[in-house]
Amino acid sequence: MGKPKAIVDRKICLACGGCISVCPQDALYMYGGRALVTEEKCISCAICIRICPIGAISGRNASNEI
Amino acid sequence: MKYDVVIVGAGPAGTVTARFAAESGARVLVIERRQEIGVPVLCGEGVSRKIDDWGMLEGKRWIANKMEGARIFSPDGTMVSLSADMAGNETGYVVYRDIFDQELARQAGKAGAKILMNTNAIGLLKEKEKIIGVKAKQFEEELEIEADIVVGTDGVESKIGQWAGIETRLDPKDLETCCQYTLTNIECKDAFCDFYLGKKIAPGGYIWVFPKGKDIANVGIGVLGNLSEAGMPKKLLDDFISKNPNLKKGFPVRFLAGAVPVANPIESIRDNLILVGDSARQVDPITGGGITHCLEAGKIAGETIGKAVELQQFDKETLSSYETGWKEAFGKKLKRNYMVKEIFLDFDDKTLNMLADSLKDIKFDEISTFGLIKALVLKHPTLLMKLRPLMKISSEA
Repeated sequence: MGKPKAIVDRKICLACGGCISVCPQDALYMYGGRALVTEEKCISCAICIRICPIGAISGRNASNEI
Repeated sequence: MKYDVVIVGAGPAGTVTARFAAESGARVLVIERRQEIGVPVLCGEGVSRKIDDWGMLEGKRWIANKMEGARIFSPDGTMVSLSADMAGNETGYVVYRDIFDQELARQAGKAGAKILMNTNAIGLLKEKEKIIGVKAKQFEEELEIEADIVVGTDGVESKIGQWAGIETRLDPKDLETCCQYTLTNIECKDAFCDFYLGKKIAPGGYIWVFPKGKDIANVGIGVLGNLSEAGMPKKLLDDFISKNPNLKKGFPVRFLAGAVPVANPIESIRDNLILVGDSARQVDPITGGGITHCLEAGKIAGETIGKAVELQQFDKETLSSYETGWKEAFGKKLKRNYMVKEIFLDFDDKTLNMLADSLKDIKFDEISTFGLIKALVLKHPTLLMKLRPLMKISSEA
């Protein structure tokens, strides 16, 4: 199991774009009015998790457990 | 599809740029990924009265409320009241940003700009290294839009700048992470924008209450990114509301999240490329206000584009009158306020309380900077040390 990758809860995300603007790997993008993570680019730094004002992002490990 | 200019993002920066570019003869296309301009609103909706001087907005439908001034509350609740003239950038009007944005878009359309909705930019079109347009997706259809100039007005999370090789990534210490309720069923007797400061209230930011009417207000919070944790802004805002007897009675009709760059501006031009608005970090690092800058910079960008099209020259040098123009208009202010922001971050709650206590009885519209500092220091001599860096900045400006 690798380090947990970021995952956006699409039910909570309000598309403010904060996570996208701070991601050092350009691993996030906006699609369909919500932020999405490109898992292969995510380095598990958790900056996006900390920056989200409403707690919509969490860590998910390789076995898909949250 | 071939245009003189393609503008990515139909917020105020995009549509004002579009309007003035179209008015000066350019063939303009604006693409917008959302299905409705200005929706969802991602903003506290406080705008300076400065916009009256520019006359870019017609009618009054976009105005929710006219402000008489601002009140700043220190951590212990001491209030400092500022008249509208002194309060500067963020008080003047509380607006309906959706109507505001749509009115600016209407003007762009009237000037001849075309706006394409539901269209998401997915990359730059390049010929070798030269930017020659934008790749976009409208629903599932891929579009190649050729243009001599690409304008990135794609907001805080700008990809256009990044694709052009500009370092757009924000350090968390240069981002305010925000959320806001629009609360109804509350009392807003006074037309004042209120700001609440304090490390426990909003670390590195503030809570705002902007009345949109007699019984409705935007109540929001900004926390500096490096001082925040997952979901902290919402938790602190909920806590603040639950402890305020007036706000506690309210019920929300809207909830939104936001991200505001409070950074030093970045380069805003390259060959065949211009950035305007949040994408160029044209935001006041103290207040987080950016609308007036979008309007001011958008007009300069549009006029610069007009000239470039006339000359058929689209290199960085030709576009540099845009960068010079906006830096002359408000670039110095942004730079200075970034330094002020850094100094303010070092102030603990005790210092903020002392500051507020010194300022609370001063009539701001009557006093000089020197008189102000004298009054501050007489009351709380220890403030002198803390304020020295600020005095240095104001004497240099």
